[in-house]
Amino acid sequence: MPQWTRTIDRASAAAAAVRPHKRAKWNRTEFWMLLPSMIVLALISIFPFFFMIYASLMDYSLSLDEPVFAGLDNWRRILTSETFWHSWGRTAVFGVSGLVLQLAVGVLVALLMYYIPKGRNLILTLWMLPLFVAPVVAGLLWKYLLDPTYGLYDWVLKQFGLNTQILGDVSTAMPAIILMDIWEWTPLITLIVLAGLQSVPTEPLEAAEVDGASGLQKIRYILLPMVRRMIVVSLLIRSMDILRYVDTITITTEGGPADSTKTIGYYLMQVAFRFQDMGTAAALGLTMLVVTIIMGNFFVKIMKKGED
Amino acid sequence: MALKRKTLYTALYILMLAAMVWALMPIVWMVLSSVKTQVNMFSMPPKFFFTPTFITYREMFGEGGNFGEFLSNSVIVSLATTVLSVVLGLMGGFALARGNFKRENNISSWIISTRMAPIPAVILPLYLMFAKAGLIGTTVGLIFAYTTFNLPFALWMMATFFKDVPVDLEEAAMIDGCSKFEAFRRIAVPTAAPGIVATAILCLMFSWNDFAFASVFSGRGTQTVPVAASLLISQHGIQWGQAMATGTIIIMPMVICGLAVRKYLVRGLSMGAVK
Repeated sequence: MPQWTRTIDRASAAAAAVRPHKRAKWNRTEFWMLLPSMIVLALISIFPFFFMIYASLMDYSLSLDEPVFAGLDNWRRILTSETFWHSWGRTAVFGVSGLVLQLAVGVLVALLMYYIPKGRNLILTLWMLPLFVAPVVAGLLWKYLLDPTYGLYDWVLKQFGLNTQILGDVSTAMPAIILMDIWEWTPLITLIVLAGLQSVPTEPLEAAEVDGASGLQKIRYILLPMVRRMIVVSLLIRSMDILRYVDTITITTEGGPADSTKTIGYYLMQVAFRFQDMGTAAALGLTMLVVTIIMGNFFVKIMKKGED
Repeated sequence: MALKRKTLYTALYILMLAAMVWALMPIVWMVLSSVKTQVNMFSMPPKFFFTPTFITYREMFGEGGNFGEFLSNSVIVSLATTVLSVVLGLMGGFALARGNFKRENNISSWIISTRMAPIPAVILPLYLMFAKAGLIGTTVGLIFAYTTFNLPFALWMMATFFKDVPVDLEEAAMIDGCSKFEAFRRIAVPTAAPGIVATAILCLMFSWNDFAFASVFSGRGTQTVPVAASLLISQHGIQWGQAMATGTIIIMPMVICGLAVRKYLVRGLSMGAVK
C-alpha cells in the first residue's frame, strides 16, 4: 500500500474523532418549543397523507357531490393502465439521463474550478446564476430560445442546416427538457462538490506528490473518494427535486408531444385538475410519496453517518 | 514543465469560458430581449446590439397593466410564509438540536420527506382540504401551502445552525439563573443570527419562485408573478416581450438574495448535509 493511502486513513480517522455535540438533557422546554411546529407540520403533512390514502379508496370526482367508496378500483386501474407505467418510464428516462449528465458535468466543472489559480470566485458566482432562475422562468426562457420562428438557439441550429421543431418533435422534446434541467441544476452539484473538494486536507495530496502520483491519480484515489459523500448527497437532493417539480414541463410541452414528456408528476396534475378524478390522482400521488420517503430515509442515514 | 503547465491553464480557462457562455447566454438573452422593441425582438438574424427601450416594462406597470398587483401578491405571500416558518423553525430547530429524545431519526426523516415531497402529491390533498375550508383563491391558503415546504426547511436548517452554537454558553447562562428559554433567546438566537437570516432569505426565494402551488391555489386577485408569467402563454400565441420582462423581474431579486447568502448557499441547498 503506498504511503499516501495510509495518510488518508489517518486523516479520516482524525475527522471521526472530533467530539459530537454534547447535549443538555431533553426536558419540558424543548417539548413546548417543538410542539407548535409539529402541530403545523402534522396539519400540512400527516393529515393530508391519510386524507390521500382515504381519497385513493374513493370514487372521488370534483363534480360529484360526495365521494363514494370504491375499494381498490383506483389502484387496480392505475396499476393496469399503460399511461401509469409509461409516465413512470418517462420519469425514469428524465431522471436517470438528467442525473448522470449533470453529475458528470457538475463534478468535472468542480474539479476544473478546484484547479483554477485565479478568478475562481467570480467564475463560480457566474456559473451558479441559473440556480436562482425560477423553474417556470427557465421553462419560458428555453421555450423562447428554442422557438421555431423567433428562437436564438433555433436560429443557431438552422445555420447548421438542422430543421428544427425541437419541443414539438417526439424524438427531441424529452432531450430538450433534460437539457433545461441540466442547465438549471448542474451548478448545484458543482457547488456542493467544490465545497467538498476545498475541505480535503492538503496533507495526503502532498504525500501523494512526494510518492510521484500523477495529477489524474490524485483525482482518482484521493479527491474523488473524499468527496463521495457530497456526490451522494447532491444526487439524492437532485433526484427528489426531479420528482418534485413539474413547472418546466407545464410551461414548455404540457407532457407532449404524444405523451413523450409526460412524467408521473405532470400526469398526476392532469388527472387531478383536468379530468378531476381525485381518487386516481391520490393513488398516483401515493406512489410518488413512497419513492420520496425511501430516498428521504436514505438521506438521513447518510447525514448521520457524516456526523459520527 | 513550465510550458506544459501554461498550456494546461490556458485550456482550463477556455473550458471555463465555454461553460460560462452555456450558463449565462439564456439569462443575458432574456434581459436583452426585455429591453427590445417588437421589431428588434423578432428580427432575424438575432440582434445583440440595439437601442434599449423600456416600453415593455412601461406597458406592464402603466395604466391598464396590472403587474403591480401580481408583484404585491408575491411579496405579501412570500414574506408571510417566511416569517411564520422562521419563527416556528427557530424554536423547533433549537429543540431538535438540544433535545435528546427517542425516535429522533424518525422525526428527521419525517421532516425531510415533507420538505422533499413531490409538489403534485402535496397539492392534491391540500386542494381538497382547502376546498372544504373555503381557502382556494385566498392569500391565507397560499401562505399555508408554502409553509408545507418552508417550515420543514427552516426546522432542519435551524437545527443544523444551533448544533454549531456551543452548548457551554447556554449552560453557563443557566447556571447564572437564566431559564432555558431565556438562554435560547439571549444567547443561542443572537449567536445563530447569520444562519437565521440566511434561512429566511432562502425561504423567501423558494416561495417567490414557486409556480405549481400558486397556479392551483391562487385566484383572481391573489395571483403571484410566476402565475402572471404563465398567463402570457395563450392559444393565440405568446407575448414574448412581456414574458422576458416578467422573467427578468422574477429573477433579479433572487440573484441579489442568492448572492447575499452565498456563504450559506451550499448548506441551504444541501439541506445542511454539507457545511
